[in-house]
Amino acid sequence: MATEPSAPAATTTTAATTAEVTRLPAFSPDLYQRAWASIPHPTLPLIATCHHHSVTVFSLSTLSKHSVLTGGHTRSVRSAAWQPPRGKVASGNGKEAKRLRLVTGSFDTTAGVWTWDQGRREERLEREVRLLQNNSEGDKGGEEEEEDEWELTLVLEGHENEVKSVNYSPSGQYLATCSRDKSVWIWEDVGNPNPSSEEQEEEEEDEDEWETVAVLQEHDGDVKAVTWCPDVPGRKSKYAPPRRYGDDVLASASYDNTVRLWREDGDGEWVCVAVLEGHEGTVWGVAWEGKPRENDKFPRLLSWGADEVVRVWSLREPEEEEEGHAEGAAGGNNSWGFGVPNTMRRSLKEEWECTAVLPKVHKGDIYSVAWSTETGLLASVGSDGVLALYQETTSTIAPEKKTEEEDEEMTNGDAPTTNATAAATAPGSWKVLTTVKSAHGPYEINHITWCKRYDAGSERKGEEEMLVTTGDDGVVRPWQVRIQ
Amino acid sequence: MAKSDLDNANPTVLSVSQLPSRNLAKGHERRGPDSKYDHILFPKQWWAGSSLNNDPSVWTSDEDEDDDLTLATEEPIDEQEIYGKNYAPSGCTCMARRNLLSTISDPEHPVTLGQIAVVRLDDIHLSPSPAERLDPNTLTNVEVDLTPTVNHCSLATVIGLAVRVRLENALPPNYRIIVRMKDGSHAQDDQVNKQLGDKERVAAALENDTLKGIIEKMLETCV
Repeated sequence: MATEPSAPAATTTTAATTAEVTRLPAFSPDLYQRAWASIPHPTLPLIATCHHHSVTVFSLSTLSKHSVLTGGHTRSVRSAAWQPPRGKVASGNGKEAKRLRLVTGSFDTTAGVWTWDQGRREERLEREVRLLQNNSEGDKGGEEEEEDEWELTLVLEGHENEVKSVNYSPSGQYLATCSRDKSVWIWEDVGNPNPSSEEQEEEEEDEDEWETVAVLQEHDGDVKAVTWCPDVPGRKSKYAPPRRYGDDVLASASYDNTVRLWREDGDGEWVCVAVLEGHEGTVWGVAWEGKPRENDKFPRLLSWGADEVVRVWSLREPEEEEEGHAEGAAGGNNSWGFGVPNTMRRSLKEEWECTAVLPKVHKGDIYSVAWSTETGLLASVGSDGVLALYQETTSTIAPEKKTEEEDEEMTNGDAPTTNATAAATAPGSWKVLTTVKSAHGPYEINHITWCKRYDAGSERKGEEEMLVTTGDDGVVRPWQVRIQ
Repeated sequence: MAKSDLDNANPTVLSVSQLPSRNLAKGHERRGPDSKYDHILFPKQWWAGSSLNNDPSVWTSDEDEDDDLTLATEEPIDEQEIYGKNYAPSGCTCMARRNLLSTISDPEHPVTLGQIAVVRLDDIHLSPSPAERLDPNTLTNVEVDLTPTVNHCSLATVIGLAVRVRLENALPPNYRIIVRMKDGSHAQDDQVNKQLGDKERVAAALENDTLKGIIEKMLETCV
């Protein structure tokens, strides 16, 4: 592994890092059937796992079942997204914990909006207790109906085929859904028109009302995943020239081997601002950088897929963007050309380039990659059952002329070893810290995520990060990660 | 490219007795989470592993150290039983595989896939060969190239799906199943292959009652 000589140029944090990934006991109970994904709540110690027609929510403190969402979908639930915390993030865990909202995307073509209302549950319990007291012979059968805690409060219909992914924008204003019908839908939460305003906070009674604001149909194949850029420093950026667009940026990954980026223009229209081409198979997912480097113009983007490759994409410098347009008009755009036809290039609003390809580890589809907001480490899983951990080896500013190497990288995506060495001195190159084989025994692993630790074994509850993997075996497994 | 109505109207049919048959031991049938027909809870399989070995050090070893990892506690799958005694590239191994598949019915004709040579002995490959595998977690690729009877066969995807389902249900979870149309055997082989290789689409297709019905029917003739 540690073959790359440390880069000659200044590095900020890289020393000889070693990492230890240790398996922790799985969440209980096992689900005994394929589980697709586990999504941690942004602020609370909860994680929601999609499996069969339902979602099981586990507690990150007890590592056991918290509640179950069931009965709302007639086919498999493929994905889930937590509503982001409203208003001031720190505004009292107590209140938020009483009201949770989760959106589920299902193969039954719908997305479900679910609400968990602690207050209502307490009322019901009280009523039951009263009933019991009045009628001491009452059967206690109903007591354990945890499923009732979650209520399906709204069904979002519109997609023609299976919904593959759902995701909230950082403010909670928008929800994106995508489907095998090749479309991406953007929904706006109009029941709670100004989610970030603080007066709203006291009102528990925001309504479930969503409006379709866009149906985007430019992909040529199933849309596998949608992810909004998080609200990190750099998103609204210094990145000139003055943007005509809204702040929210959505990335979509597709069976057509591409990634597309979408923004809202000044007139409420959502438009495709970039097509990222380079993968040679289905793109299974995309992830934004949660903690951008200081000198970056904009958060970077990861994409991964059936071609066993993970790519890192960066927004190009605005000046060059203009040059690019000029060249594009003149038809001589080769140094940046990676397959986008000239006619199309001119109409694109943003130029994204592939600035790194991760060392190749997986044999078979890569289903999921997670980017840590704390450490910047990446972790990937796939059909080969391997869990891999990567670290960026340099974090300096990109020198101006690296174009040749990068071009090479882009065209030789499937020649990982040469890439790894060629990229060793380039900015934004990555090395493998460690791998775990058979992380779910012989089963495929469908999902990996970073999340905070709250269990008794943690030394720094609420701060320490761990990994959670979700597999075909129905096991949801936390992993301790120690970096030296 | 003579147009024969929907399918091959007059396929070459082999006699059933020519096709060797072998029953899989029941206990070895795969009942993993992707077995579409076993929705009921089933006892945890030995290969799910989580309770077998909670010693982290065993599981977090580096790639290279995994070779001496042995799970001696459980009854191993009897590979001899599945693959036959003398492994040879186109011999017993493939015969065994062929038995899993050759008895699947054609969706249109009252014949099996083996009889009309949609599934062929020489187009089934295992890697690494069973003899080389020690650890039950070692992944084995099963590659099956199908030959549709006519190159525009509209049912190619359904046949491919049935083959995939059959193998997923019958084989342990360390098998990675790749079902393809043989090169040039089908007009849209790339599309069909991509679809058959897409786990998510396969999973969704099997929740479609119509498709599921067709496939169940095709698999009825399997022992």
